[in-house]
Amino acid sequence: MDLTPLVEAAQNSALSEWMRTSLKAVAIINALHVLAIVTVFGTILIVDLRLLGIPNVRRSFTRMHHELLRWTWGAFGISAITGVLLFMVNAVTYHRNTAFWLKMATIVLAGINMLVFELITAKSAPSWDKGVIPPNAARLAGALSIVLWVAVIVFGRWIGFTKGYDFTIPEDVQFDFSAPAQ
Amino acid sequence: MLEFAEWLGSTPLSIAIQSRLWLTPLLQTIHIVMIGVVFVSMLSVALRVLGQVRTDEPLAEVWHRFAPWFWTALGVMAGTGVILTISEPVREVSALSFWIKLTLIVIGVASALYFGRTVATGAGVGAVTSVYSGRARVVAVATILLWVAIMFLGRWIAYDVEIWESWHLA
Repeated sequence: MDLTPLVEAAQNSALSEWMRTSLKAVAIINALHVLAIVTVFGTILIVDLRLLGIPNVRRSFTRMHHELLRWTWGAFGISAITGVLLFMVNAVTYHRNTAFWLKMATIVLAGINMLVFELITAKSAPSWDKGVIPPNAARLAGALSIVLWVAVIVFGRWIGFTKGYDFTIPEDVQFDFSAPAQ
Repeated sequence: MLEFAEWLGSTPLSIAIQSRLWLTPLLQTIHIVMIGVVFVSMLSVALRVLGQVRTDEPLAEVWHRFAPWFWTALGVMAGTGVILTISEPVREVSALSFWIKLTLIVIGVASALYFGRTVATGAGVGAVTSVYSGRARVVAVATILLWVAIMFLGRWIAYDVEIWESWHLA
């Protein structure tokens, strides 16, 4: 599937143009994106650690999971919206950026991990709600989730260091560091 | 700023550094993961005061659950932050965002120390089902906003000119 026309349309849109010319917009959207993603990560981390029995299994899993869910989803919604906006600013560049696609793929994997947990593993949650170490499948979901969300942050930061320069320098290129002729 | 970044990113020196220097992105990533732990720890305590989470636990217990994570992650942030500042000192000190951020961190740490002490002495902590007064709720919201502001300013060091315009310090 060739996404190029869609990506170009996103970048040529009035909204994208406005974000590029009003530089404050990008700074504010970017800061919101960071705030949202760390909230997604942090709230999921609490649930993941609880699945791993850290710091303990005293509290009801169902209750703590239920309390945090709306914060996680609210923050995820903000991450997704701000993420789409940031993508639109330089859509063509991001579209060919490896770190960007690794980040997207990792979010999908984290989503699959979550779905498997919610639809299958969590069905037995009443039997390990508190005072019991969760079953292996639940602990695995928790551990995978931590690894995947840290990877999302790693690739997200990596985008900032690779966007626009995602190529290898040809061996035969000679750089001239001398001052240009006046 | 965009033009400057594009120019700098296209210089041979910059490309040479980017192809080898994994350290800055690594440190920044650790810094971001840790602010997640710091922020959500504070958020959990604040939301407990606001009656949104963990209302089955006394506030002191919620604080004791999150305090070690808060302080440890804050320590790692301080370490990575110092190294990042040393690696790009001109960028940091010329950013107004950097100085406001440091000021807010001092306030955030001082208030966390004060809160931890208050909880330790058992004053104002209350029973399991206690509902907190208007003043405690205002402090909780202010604490959330303080850490949100610290994150915004941290991100804005890279956008200092855009955000502050002539207030930028260089």
